[in-house]
Amino acid sequence: MNKITVNLENVVETIKAFYNPAAHHFLTLNALNAPDDSIELEWIFTRYGVIDEPTVFTLTCKRDVLIPSVTSFIPSAIMSERETVDMFGVSIEGAKRGLYLDEDSREMPLGRCRV
Amino acid sequence: MKKTVEIPLGSQHISLLEPIRFRFHCENEVIRDVDADVGFVHRGVEEACASRFEFKQVGYVVARVCGLCAITHSLGYTLAVEKLLHVETSMRIKYLRMLMVELDRIHSHMLCLAHTAENAGFEALFMQIMNERELVMDVQEALSGNRVQFDYISIGGVNRDLSAQAGALVLRNLSLLEPKIDELFERFTSNWSLSLKYRGIGALSLTQAYMYNTLGPLARAAGLETDVRLETNDFPYAQIGFEIITEQGGDIYARNLVRLREIKQSIKMVRHIIEGLPEGAIQEKTKGKPEGEAIVRIEAPRGELMYLVRGNKSSILERVRIKTPTFSGIPAMIEIFKGSNFADAPAILASFDPCMSCTAK
Repeated sequence: MNKITVNLENVVETIKAFYNPAAHHFLTLNALNAPDDSIELEWIFTRYGVIDEPTVFTLTCKRDVLIPSVTSFIPSAIMSERETVDMFGVSIEGAKRGLYLDEDSREMPLGRCRV
Repeated sequence: MKKTVEIPLGSQHISLLEPIRFRFHCENEVIRDVDADVGFVHRGVEEACASRFEFKQVGYVVARVCGLCAITHSLGYTLAVEKLLHVETSMRIKYLRMLMVELDRIHSHMLCLAHTAENAGFEALFMQIMNERELVMDVQEALSGNRVQFDYISIGGVNRDLSAQAGALVLRNLSLLEPKIDELFERFTSNWSLSLKYRGIGALSLTQAYMYNTLGPLARAAGLETDVRLETNDFPYAQIGFEIITEQGGDIYARNLVRLREIKQSIKMVRHIIEGLPEGAIQEKTKGKPEGEAIVRIEAPRGELMYLVRGNKSSILERVRIKTPTFSGIPAMIEIFKGSNFADAPAILASFDPCMSCTAK
C-alpha cells in the first residue's frame, strides 16, 4: 500500500487535493492506539475499475485533540468517523457519539492503550 | 412552510428483516429527511478479535459477523493474515475459495429477491424463491459440512476438498436452479406489481453513486462500474469468465435486474470452476506470526468487504478492522430516501439488501 504521512494542520487539504470522486473510492477511516496516549488514524482509498494498491493517509496525534473531518467533500465518511468516535473515544469535528454506544456512554471499547 | 411529521420505522417492524431504526421526517407523503440508528446488534467483534482470540482462531470468529456471507468474512480475514505470513496458496485452493464465495452470492441474492417479492405482496413467490434457494444451501452443506456457519476457510487453505460426488451434486443442483432463475427473470421483467412499478422508485443517480462511494449491486444498478473482482488480483476471476454487470436507472427495478444477472453469471462461473478445477494441495504449511499491516478487499454479495489486519509478531493481533458493505452504504440509502414517498420506504429498504448484523458487528 502507498502510505502518505500527514499532520493535523494539512490532513484535510492533502486528502482534498488527492481525492477525485469519479476515480477514487473512500474505503474507510481506521484508528489504532499509539504510544504516549496518542492515536494513529488512517484514511484509506482505492481506485475504481483498476487493480491498484490502496493509498493510505496516516496521521498520529494526541488522543485529546479535535480531529478535522473530511465529510465536506466525502459525505460517506460520516459513518466511519462516528464509529471511530464511539470506539476510540476521540473527537472528530461534527461527528457525534451514539452510532453503536449510548450518546452519554463513558466506554470506549477499542480506546484502551495496549501498546 | 408545510407541516413536517416524524414517522418512525423500526427497530422492530413487519417490513424489516433486521433491527434498524429510521426516523422519517415527512411532508404529507414525501420523505424530506431521515435519521438512521444502526447499532442495535453491536457485538464488539473487532475488540474480541484483538484481545480474546489468537490470530488462528479469528477467522472462525469473524465468520460469525454474518450468517449469510460467513465464508466471505472468513476469507477476507484469512487472505489478510496470509499476506502477513507470506503464504502463497495453490490454484486449487483459490478455485475452491472462489467456488464457495460465488455460492454465497447466489443464495444471498436469492434471499434479497425473495424479500423484494414479499414486500410487493407476493407471499407465494417469496416461499417459492426460498424453496429454490435450498438447492444452493444443500450444495454448501455438502461442500463444507455445515448449513450456515460453514467454517470452510482456514489460514493456508480450506478445510475440505471437493470430492467427485460433491462436484456432481453442485452441477446437478445448478442445472435445476438455472431454469428457475430464468423464470424469475421473466417475472421480474414483465410483472407490473412485482417489479415494473418500481421503475424510477428509490433511484440513485450515477453522480450520487460516485459522491456517496456506493458499492456492490446498488452502485452497479446506477451504472457505476465497480466490482472488487475486477479491482484485485487475489483470485483468477478472468479465468472463470467474470465480467462486470451493470444496469442504468439506479432504481429498485435495476437492482433486481443486477442481482438476477449476477446469479446467472455466478452459476456460469461455478460451472467453470468445477470443470477446470486444478490438481493440488488444499492446505499449505504456514509458520510464524503476523507482522505488519495488510488490507484485503473481497466482493461480498452486498458489495465491497474490507479487512485490515495489523500484527506485531504476537499471537494476539494489534488491530482487526472490518468494513462491511451496508455500513458504508447507509449515507447513500439516506440520500435515496429523501424525496421518496413514505409508502415506498419498505420496498426501497428491501432493495438495499441491508445486513445489520454485518453493519453493527
